[in-house]
Amino acid sequence: MSTDTSSTANEIIIQTKAKKDFSLINVISNEYFLYVVSFAGFLAIWHYVAAAQLLGKSLATPMDTLQEMTRLMTVKLAGKNLLGHIWASTRRVFIGFSIGAVFGIPLGLFMALNRYINAFVKPLFDLFKPMPPLAWISVAILWFGIGESSKIFIIVIGSFVPCVLNAYSGVRVIEEELYDVVRVLGGNRWHEIIQVSFPASLPALFAGVQISLSISWTCVLAAELVSARAGLGWIIIRGMKLSKPEMVLGGMVMIAIVATLATVMIYGIEKLLCPWKRSADEA
Amino acid sequence: MAYENIKTQNPLLLKILPFLGIGIFFAVWEFVVDVGILPSTMMASPYEVVKLFIDKLSNPNPDGSTIGIHAWISAQEAVTAYILAFVMGTPLGLLMGWYKVARGLARPVFELIRPIPPIAWIPLCIFWFGIGITGKIFIIWIAGIVPFTINAWVGVNMTNPTFIQMARTYGASDWQIFKTVCVPSALPMVFGALQISLAYCWTNLVGAELLAADQGLGYLISMGRRLAMPSMVVLGMVTVGLGGAIIGVIVDMLEKRFMSRIRR
Repeated sequence: MSTDTSSTANEIIIQTKAKKDFSLINVISNEYFLYVVSFAGFLAIWHYVAAAQLLGKSLATPMDTLQEMTRLMTVKLAGKNLLGHIWASTRRVFIGFSIGAVFGIPLGLFMALNRYINAFVKPLFDLFKPMPPLAWISVAILWFGIGESSKIFIIVIGSFVPCVLNAYSGVRVIEEELYDVVRVLGGNRWHEIIQVSFPASLPALFAGVQISLSISWTCVLAAELVSARAGLGWIIIRGMKLSKPEMVLGGMVMIAIVATLATVMIYGIEKLLCPWKRSADEA
Repeated sequence: MAYENIKTQNPLLLKILPFLGIGIFFAVWEFVVDVGILPSTMMASPYEVVKLFIDKLSNPNPDGSTIGIHAWISAQEAVTAYILAFVMGTPLGLLMGWYKVARGLARPVFELIRPIPPIAWIPLCIFWFGIGITGKIFIIWIAGIVPFTINAWVGVNMTNPTFIQMARTYGASDWQIFKTVCVPSALPMVFGALQISLAYCWTNLVGAELLAADQGLGYLISMGRRLAMPSMVVLGMVTVGLGGAIIGVIVDMLEKRFMSRIRR
């Protein structure tokens, strides 16, 4: 028996874990064992559906996909190997996302801290908010042509909105009591902003950054699907035009890997910057 | 709270500023296009957009359908996929929250598929379903199911453990606890997913229609680009924004209604 006591704010939770016997039924119902089963089952079904051609020739087996990915690593397509295309997409996301965050987060904070700015900007912002970023693709192409800047423009638009929204609501939901503490201790408005508003809105800010990032990936992909000469979206569309499902799937797998890495990275930064964030809401 | 007592009247400026903001925006827009700072091949003035809108209400040219039909097709696709996502995602999330076996089996697949942007499925969808309505519903469904599943899962996880322990003490079975304790306590989170999922669905609808469609608002936007008619692009964007806002308001009303029943 092991007892684990954890305190969450004002309530104390005591969990007692009994050591389980090593038996077949316990092994089978173990969560990690089931993960392996599920993963293997997923691959097996995928392989079966593809190999038996239940969907015609429009699905490649996992093995083919892997082979295609290793082939793309060495073979150059449009002057770049797979790593080059990954870098092309990542670079766009990085630039666009940085611009969006650099402008979006301060705007959101200002909107929450100053009611005059809020009264002026909020209605305009509400006007643009329901427009999906992908709807801007056509405008971006009309304005900037099909080059690099039109793709970055779409990513900026896509990542801007969640950054503003979360910075805004992050400051808005701060409990008034926290400001009271600063005031009682003789702080002025500046101290309130620096010592309460910024740190207390960080978790919400990071939630916004995560959403921004996933929207950025969607945007870069959509932009590359519509018009591009490099990038993971280009690989996918190229695979479609050549009727090579393994190439399409290879591109999708690569996007999943890169997007997951980016998410994990932001998550690591968040943990570094807000260590007080409770493990309870990391569900 | 002491704040309520010292709350002052809002100054007049605060009441004017919102209208000022919108007014300046439209004035600058009209000015920039009329004077020619942005050439008419790149941007249309608000007046032209309104004119085109009135024209498109009855005129199916040059893109094949009136705006009403485009909007109706888009709404059909989005709402079908949205409902399917709710009906399938929520039970999956609830089960994943409570039953270890369901979590063990579904989680790896879910985590594998989640980071892939739904747009990336478009080529496979075209292989599988052609460019008909099924493929688009599939893409929007993938986009919409993720928030429903995650929120239902988190909702069950956030159930107060004391309630579960009490139900156990009174001899309730796993299924009974799930049904009477976990599901009701997860409902606010489940309804919270309605708006998030709707936004995802609507975004990906536009993406799906930009690439493979012959009707719908996304198609209207991409046709506007191909015909080099900025007014049509802007009209499509405005209609998409309006449509999203209208469906959002309807969902919000439904959500409030359900929530008031739970809190009874």
